[in-house]
Amino acid sequence: MAAGDEAAAAASTVAVSLNNNDKPRRHHPAASGKEENRHRPWAMLTRFHAGYFRISLALSGQALLWRTLTSDDNSSTATELRPLPLVRSLPSAAFLLLWSLALLALLALAALYAARCLLRFHAVRAEFRHHVAMNYLFAPWISCLLLLQSAPFLRPDAPPYHLLWWAFSLPILALDVKIYGQWFTRGRRFLSMVANPASHITVIGNLVTARAAAKMGWHEGAVAIFAVGAAHYLVLFVTLYQRFLGSDSLPAMLRPVFFLFFAAPSMASLAWDAISSSFDTCCKMLFFLSLFLFASLVSRPALFKRAMRRFSVAWWAYSFPLSVLALASAEYAQEVRQAAANGLMLVLAVLSVAVTLALMLFTALRTADLLPHDDPFDHGCPQLPT
Amino acid sequence: MEGATGNSTTPRAVPPLLADVEVSNLPGFDVTPTPSPRHQDAATPTTPSARPQPSPKKASRPGGLPMDRVTRRSEVVLPSLESPFQAPGYRTMQPVSISLPASPTGFGAPAIPAGLGGGAGGDPDGLRRQAMANAAARGEPQPSPPAAQDKHGGSVRFAHQPDKVVFRSQPIPGGQPAPPGSARAGRAGSRVMSRDKRYDSFKTFSGKLERQLTHLARAPEVHDDEEDGEDDAITTSRSTSMPKVDRFFAALEGPELDQLKSSEELVLPSDKKWPFLLRFPVSAFGMSLGVSSQAILWKTIATSAPTTFLHVGTKVNLVLWCISVALMCAITAVYALKVAFFFEAVRREYYHPIRVNFFFAPWIACLFLAIGVPPSVATELPRWLWYALMAPVLVLELKIYGQWMSGGQRRLSKVANPSNHLSVVGNFVGALLGASMGLREGPVFFFSVGLAHYSVLFVTLYQRLPTNETLPKELHPVFFLFVAAPSVASMAWARITGEFGYGSRVAYFIAMFLYASLAVRINFFRGFRFSLAWWAYTFPMTGAAIASIRYSTEVDNTFTKALCVALSAVAVLTVTALFATTLVHAFVLRNLFPNDISIAITERKMKPIIELHESQGEDGSTKSNDIEAGSAQ
Repeated sequence: MAAGDEAAAAASTVAVSLNNNDKPRRHHPAASGKEENRHRPWAMLTRFHAGYFRISLALSGQALLWRTLTSDDNSSTATELRPLPLVRSLPSAAFLLLWSLALLALLALAALYAARCLLRFHAVRAEFRHHVAMNYLFAPWISCLLLLQSAPFLRPDAPPYHLLWWAFSLPILALDVKIYGQWFTRGRRFLSMVANPASHITVIGNLVTARAAAKMGWHEGAVAIFAVGAAHYLVLFVTLYQRFLGSDSLPAMLRPVFFLFFAAPSMASLAWDAISSSFDTCCKMLFFLSLFLFASLVSRPALFKRAMRRFSVAWWAYSFPLSVLALASAEYAQEVRQAAANGLMLVLAVLSVAVTLALMLFTALRTADLLPHDDPFDHGCPQLPT
Repeated sequence: MEGATGNSTTPRAVPPLLADVEVSNLPGFDVTPTPSPRHQDAATPTTPSARPQPSPKKASRPGGLPMDRVTRRSEVVLPSLESPFQAPGYRTMQPVSISLPASPTGFGAPAIPAGLGGGAGGDPDGLRRQAMANAAARGEPQPSPPAAQDKHGGSVRFAHQPDKVVFRSQPIPGGQPAPPGSARAGRAGSRVMSRDKRYDSFKTFSGKLERQLTHLARAPEVHDDEEDGEDDAITTSRSTSMPKVDRFFAALEGPELDQLKSSEELVLPSDKKWPFLLRFPVSAFGMSLGVSSQAILWKTIATSAPTTFLHVGTKVNLVLWCISVALMCAITAVYALKVAFFFEAVRREYYHPIRVNFFFAPWIACLFLAIGVPPSVATELPRWLWYALMAPVLVLELKIYGQWMSGGQRRLSKVANPSNHLSVVGNFVGALLGASMGLREGPVFFFSVGLAHYSVLFVTLYQRLPTNETLPKELHPVFFLFVAAPSVASMAWARITGEFGYGSRVAYFIAMFLYASLAVRINFFRGFRFSLAWWAYTFPMTGAAIASIRYSTEVDNTFTKALCVALSAVAVLTVTALFATTLVHAFVLRNLFPNDISIAITERKMKPIIELHESQGEDGSTKSNDIEAGSAQ
């Protein structure tokens, strides 16, 4: 696919640019290895970190959104949308294109990360210990599950679906046990100190798993995983709102990650919708909460000003939450069937698509910026105190 | 403004608290001298304006420093006109400590005593001193201090300073005896009938509005033009700034953060009664909350099954409702005037960590009025009313909850206090009203937002974090706000779902538990100064009573009936007692609206000043002279 080629081209371009790059790396203590890095084709692996999975997360979320908006199986949302010229012009071919692009992006990123694990394991280990980066270890599995749910050729009750679900959920559950356990038992890593908006990804992981399980038909497991996710979401929500001193540990460049605040309740609303088979009051309440948080963030543009000065992979953090919110609004509109709700769904869907397209454009145009010298994770990972 | 009439007439009417070094009995210091335009003119062009840090003050006065007594301030260094605005300017009088220069040699920069301006126009002596100070600031040779000193029986102060600093003990009170029609604070310095400019920093557009009105109201003075020019120049050179949230915690204490710490000072004179509008806090809307919730209670008693045995008619509801409408209109009108004329003061209230929650109170009160509307007035309310009332609540919420999440220093772990419940309970009240009007989605929206944020607040308050500076260590009526949210939430959920189901019951039982937990500690609610905000703390009790009545319609037995009667009785008695107390404070003690010091704190803490507790009188002044002399070297 063009996009896949583009991703690969991007990767190789970056590698080449890195090799040709003579500028010394700023502020990077690992610059000692810079000399040898310059000459090695895999130099970029040092700076490639789990945060890049935001790209695959965003694309998979988009794929799921398009799938839901245009799906045929007794979704009256589609029926209502069909008359609209916007949706009519989205043939399933476009959806296939997007899905394939998302899959290729995920595979490329996964391959890069696997290479990083092999060749730069110390960096991966450091990442695992970083309070922001560790959450992104969930991201590949979440992307896999999202792609699974939106797969055009796989029905939820098919055995391959079950198999793949298990394959993708087990790592999430294992990471759950490790990371949530750390929250309340491990010495230096108390939740009050490590909590940051990126921690929502752990909760989202659980909720996506629960939704996929519910779609698959395994009700009890879905409720169980949902309960784990909801309980930890409650704790995380309170902790983040309290903003303990010393817990402002998110660098200004990563402020787009604040959008995850409303991604979690939207995802919870979708998961509960799948579990209870109808968009009941609990789902509505979660959806309204995420709408409120969205409005609250969008009305504070100053919060994101610094991060918007330069393109970086953190910008991709805008896309996934918007897709999830649009998805939740689609389910809401389907339930409520009011003009205002349909309008809201349309607005959010258009916004999410526009943002994703813009991000893809930016990535294509400013590929070099994707691996900047002073990426905030980059500083943290290799020299993170162990 | 109300001008110093009392003080101005008695020379030396310095209250004991104001142990000024100055201790002077000089009429020039303690008394409003007769204004002498001549001097004022001389002083006018050169006086720098003082500014109370935070608000853009209007330059005013030639000498018109908003501060009045300030003189003492140790480091108050008033820049000359051309110098850029320096924040820590002035302070008005200090109730307890005597100010001395911050350092012995701290007179390097000529300290123009702030007080100069004083509203007044009138102190020729003061103006002259100021002129001297200005001259000193400019490095010109100073006229002999003693000469000036002798001027008015002794401005004790500055005789000994080789430096240019001039101390002034008392503000030149704004209310001149002479100024005809000068009752209001005006451009001070200038002349007798000028307004008291000390409050200009708190006025809208730094008092420009008032100046315009002044111009319209009477013939412009000769001096107006030049003053305007100066004022504008000064105003433009000033920047608006507001005390940071930390300052509120550092300078104030008490459960409502309304008591000044003893080491702090105010930017407004603390010995004068400020303009009424400045003294009218936003927590006055609490009265409206208290009365309108009573109207709802009586309506519920009159129309609910469990309480029909009391044979209460709907007239009580009607009367109370009309009273609360009238009260609401009155309070709104007064506060609207305050917004129009003293916008800076309103801004400061908004930045106060406790008072900001009271900005929800008007909307909640309107919602209560809509809920408690008597059937004879209206049975069906229009839907747009709900949207109109909830829109401001939504906007305020977006702002305030967003601040909790991401707003710089106002982190919830630091600013959480029981008054934050007012921010949250509005959601539930709106949900209750919307559900009773038949709306579906909107009430659920606000209920969910309220529930999420209530759980955060509840956890935070229960934690009593060490970083939390606002939680009162002792029990205070504000704790009754804990009961408000669950009881209203239970009623709202019952309306939304149409039945008093498990969700409502859980919320109701939580409310009852919290109420009981506070009621058994009633002994500890002692020793607090009454304030208007106490009215706001009565509506939770009323809300709990209403929720009990609702509960007993579901679960009807003797115990629940007795409970709802008891709670209603407690609520009614509390409100009656509070009403009586309010009347006493208003008409007998006349301190229902004391100076609202919580909005007048300085933006930056002044450097520590040497505290002298001089005895008043000649000895004191001598001593002070010595000390000053000593420190001057």
